[in-house]
Amino acid sequence: MPPRRTRKLRVGVDTGGTFTDVVYVDGSERGTFKLLSTPDDPARAVLAALSELFGERSPERLTYGTTVATNAVLERAGARTALVTTRGFEDVVEIGRQSRPDLYDLEPQRPAPLVERKLRLGLDERVLFDGSTARRPSQASLRRLAADLLKHRAASIAVCLLHAHTNPEHERLVASALAHLGVPVTLSHELSPQPGEYERTSTTIANAYVRPAVSGHLESLATRSRAKRFLVMQSNGGAIGVETARAEPIRTMLSGPAGGVAAAWNVARAAGFERIITFDMGGTSTDVALVDAAVPRRADTLIAGLPVRSPCIDIHTVGAGGGSLARLDAGGSLKVGPESASADPGPACYGSGTEPTVTDANVVLGRLRPEAFLGGGMRLDVERAAAALAKLAREMNTGTAAAAEGVVRVVEGTMERAIRVITVERGQDPRTCALVAFGGAAALHACGLAAGLGIPDVVIPADPGLLSAWGVLEGPIVRDRECAASLVDPDAADLARLAAPLELAAKNDVAGEGIPGRVIRTARYLRLRYLGQSLELEVPLARTYRGDFDRAHERLFHTSAPQRPVEVCGLRVTASGSVASPRHGGARARSRRHAAAEPEATSAQAYLAGRPTAVPLLERARLEPGHRFDGPAIVTEYSSTALVAPGWAARVDDHHNLLLTRCGRDGSGRRTA
Amino acid sequence: MSKAHAFDPVDLELFNNRLAAVSEEMGAVLRQAGFSPNIKERCDFSCAVFDGQGEMVTHAAHIPVHLGSTPLSVRAAIKAVPMADGDIVILNDPYAGGTHLPDVTLVAPVFLPGVDRAYAYLADRAHHADIGGASPGSMSLTTEIYQEGFRLPPVHLCRQGEAVRETRELFLANTRVAEERLGDLDAQVAALRAGAARMQELAERFGPDHLAAAMAELQAYSRRLIGSFIRELPRGSWSAQDCLDDDGWGSGPVTIAVRMERRGSRLDVDFEGSARQVTGPLNANLAVTTSAVFYVIACLAGRSVPPNSGMMEPVHIHAPAGSVVNCSFPAAVAGGNVETSQRIVDVLLKALAPALPDRVPAASCGTMTNVALGGYDAARGRHFSYYETVGGGAGAGPRGAGASAVQTHMTNTLNTPVEILESYYPLRVVHYRVRRGSGGKGEHRGGDGIDRELEITAPADVSLLAERRDFGPYGLGGAESGRRGRDSIVRAGKQRRIDAKSRVRLEPGDRLRVETPGGGGWSAPPPGVPRRS
Repeated sequence: MPPRRTRKLRVGVDTGGTFTDVVYVDGSERGTFKLLSTPDDPARAVLAALSELFGERSPERLTYGTTVATNAVLERAGARTALVTTRGFEDVVEIGRQSRPDLYDLEPQRPAPLVERKLRLGLDERVLFDGSTARRPSQASLRRLAADLLKHRAASIAVCLLHAHTNPEHERLVASALAHLGVPVTLSHELSPQPGEYERTSTTIANAYVRPAVSGHLESLATRSRAKRFLVMQSNGGAIGVETARAEPIRTMLSGPAGGVAAAWNVARAAGFERIITFDMGGTSTDVALVDAAVPRRADTLIAGLPVRSPCIDIHTVGAGGGSLARLDAGGSLKVGPESASADPGPACYGSGTEPTVTDANVVLGRLRPEAFLGGGMRLDVERAAAALAKLAREMNTGTAAAAEGVVRVVEGTMERAIRVITVERGQDPRTCALVAFGGAAALHACGLAAGLGIPDVVIPADPGLLSAWGVLEGPIVRDRECAASLVDPDAADLARLAAPLELAAKNDVAGEGIPGRVIRTARYLRLRYLGQSLELEVPLARTYRGDFDRAHERLFHTSAPQRPVEVCGLRVTASGSVASPRHGGARARSRRHAAAEPEATSAQAYLAGRPTAVPLLERARLEPGHRFDGPAIVTEYSSTALVAPGWAARVDDHHNLLLTRCGRDGSGRRTA
Repeated sequence: MSKAHAFDPVDLELFNNRLAAVSEEMGAVLRQAGFSPNIKERCDFSCAVFDGQGEMVTHAAHIPVHLGSTPLSVRAAIKAVPMADGDIVILNDPYAGGTHLPDVTLVAPVFLPGVDRAYAYLADRAHHADIGGASPGSMSLTTEIYQEGFRLPPVHLCRQGEAVRETRELFLANTRVAEERLGDLDAQVAALRAGAARMQELAERFGPDHLAAAMAELQAYSRRLIGSFIRELPRGSWSAQDCLDDDGWGSGPVTIAVRMERRGSRLDVDFEGSARQVTGPLNANLAVTTSAVFYVIACLAGRSVPPNSGMMEPVHIHAPAGSVVNCSFPAAVAGGNVETSQRIVDVLLKALAPALPDRVPAASCGTMTNVALGGYDAARGRHFSYYETVGGGAGAGPRGAGASAVQTHMTNTLNTPVEILESYYPLRVVHYRVRRGSGGKGEHRGGDGIDRELEITAPADVSLLAERRDFGPYGLGGAESGRRGRDSIVRAGKQRRIDAKSRVRLEPGDRLRVETPGGGGWSAPPPGVPRRS
């Protein structure tokens, strides 16, 4: 515990398409606030919330999760952007990797580049693969370039030259030749010093494209929020200072889902779990991620079909959620998703749709309680849901409840496959993990999914609908620094020397955000491959890196070649540091420690394993730490409903998480507590 | 099927998911563990699961041309050699289950404890960048199979989990870049092991009998889906023909003809009228022709049909023996897989265009434009062998303009990034552009091809195998054809055209330029042509 000082106000804001979520810690007090987003100017909702909650008071620290950058790409509403590239390679972003996204589409569609052809300018220069210069750009050509960019009225400029990750000199020459234009310039070697011209160009362009809008928005909000320190959430699950975010907005592209994973990890660790699978099920899609002692990273992702290389949490998304439509196909198989009822018309039970969805199936099965949905604020139309399912049941030649149960099993099968991709395909065993369920629909399916995968523990955090905002508030400040290399069987000591300047730079970045040096932690990683191989694995930089790599290769790919030389292709250093933050739910927990062992419950009818069953119905808000009960049970709360299946035992921990443990194959299960 | 193994719509979907996951996981392992850019960067491979009778159950394809041909490989392996637990069979012989020699297929049985016959089979196929033969890349202008490289009938690569040294040594001794081959071969083995582990898990979880029944049911499901697609076709028969430019040995145009007829739930596809097999390497064996038909059906029927043996049952293919679409030993076949397969697709779509005017696009570039080159790289002190296919324009269709600079139909390999290419090989890319204006004009415009120029920095043998240099990709509804491709050598600043099928020796500083065809244009069909409701 840090020494008690004056009350410090820390705020986390997560803006989504529908809601803006605000959570805060004020001394030992914690609070939450939810209001409708204002997509035309996202700052309006944020400022309204701050004013409503805190009046004239300035937050000590405000961490902001934003979708402004992502939306600018999705809506193609970014700045008029120009690309400067090596002459002869102006079309690299149009050609891509030559592949089409769908193998069996006779009319393949590919997203158009963010920069149109006439704004892609070739410069007569060439660096070779080893960093040597084949042709230096002339002063005249650089002057001409600046004039052309002026003529084209480019509002933002991306510079990506061939092999610039190996030798950035020409990109720097371009930058200084364009400095007088007064337009933001993004250099590829600074943003993504990795080989692969298509992905690097695409990343650089995306950054340049969203930069003016994001930069202006963040600057204005930072000022008007009057926060002493204004931080922005990144896709890697950590926060960063507003100045870096303004220059490299690409780092914020996937910050929303990243906040959820980061928070789920905080919650799970506090509950005593070291390996978790996060399961975030929303209306149209579901995100899953594996966290094994550290939040998993990947180096790239796709935004609207365009590759973006920026460290982000490794999240796997499938197109199935509560709103996914169910139908019987021509071959007699029950399909659920990827088509979705989305917000309009929505699931049949919302009152206007007619086609059955996963949500309707849960209503028909009595698992989703019409009277408790959004705290009773939205009445669900049970009859409409039943009619939609009855139609499907007739096609399936079965009863309505059986069809509804089928829909649930199929969607859980889709989730199961998604989790296998992030575990089994990567040499990990899901049976050694806990499942952390959040987002509106996950807690209804967590037990079924866990049972299918042999997962023994399920964690349902408090406030599952606000988890991302807590992740934003509690996320540490994280900065990645990386460099490319090409070293065969190097000495670990030499690698440590190479990593030292990266480490120093990353540490300084974090210290610059007001984190005391003694709490900054750094981790160093190598990107490795066998010499001659073409993809890479990341392992920590250690004296034993060679053996660690062979073992990781064996685990992931069932083969290794300890006699082969290895090549180090790059180094990455991550520095992170947090200001101390009370654990999620902790404040509430302290005041209410001694609760009765059995919570109060009413009873309701729900279908379980094909039979109508009397199931205890509990309100989450009335559950206290120490409460225990066995499945079956249904737990309702404002933003979510949980099904505790037969064979599972539940208890409420000190942080108000609901912890479910599998203890038998059926309802007779003994308790394992 | 016994009632105990009846599958309701829910079980069917769940098993569809579970079995597809097995082949996809094999693919993930193969790509990750692979060594060559051809596997890791271009994904030129496929993985599949078969039942105990050798019928295909699921197929994770990156490359459609592998679709119909993998089952024939497995059948050939089962027929040729007895397989015990832990055995792996290797083959590439186009006359014994293969397609063309660079595609090396591995087949492994899956056994369960205490059962003496194979319960399932797994296969993976990868395009190796070199398999010996007359020229680096093994895609040369040959006249018989013997010149095309090292031929492997089905033989053991592993016996009871142990590598068969003789097979490995023979294989490696006969390819140009043995080190890389070994890495890719090991990756193929690793993928089979991963698949076997997964199948054993499924058998344990659901019981072997139930899983076997699920594998059968999944085939029946695909059969039903294809049957329902065929019943949607209007009554009648449709014919079309098109041709390949030339076999590289002066054959002139090589005709491919097809007649398709719907009979109830069955579709007959008859290639009678196609040219006899040719001297050059453009012959397709039945495996390749089957793949092309398979691909067209998969596209038109919708992508959710699990690719398996059941899918092909309602489709009856007749291809005359000794023809360019069902060649006989010892015809050269290197380009049958990559070029002739594309033309077969063009012909099938052309035939179906009047039957399905709202679904069928104009011809795409119709060639994979294969560039293979190799030699000795003195600067790096090693031999090299590089193979790449260059995309082109997609045909315009009812939905809109064709995509530019894209791999179409029978291939979907990724390019090798310029920065990777230049790091690995003595090559420098001079330019890499969209070939503007090469798509055919029409109400919807065909996609543009690619213009790519490579400079060689070490002496190299170059083989080019490309098509649509004489006859451009057709337009539909009166729209214009896509522009034909062209190829040239730039030496000392002078550009000279070369044949689309040629082998040339290049010296440092020489450049190879390829310009690939655009796609055909599309216009609404004239009135009077039947439209689907």
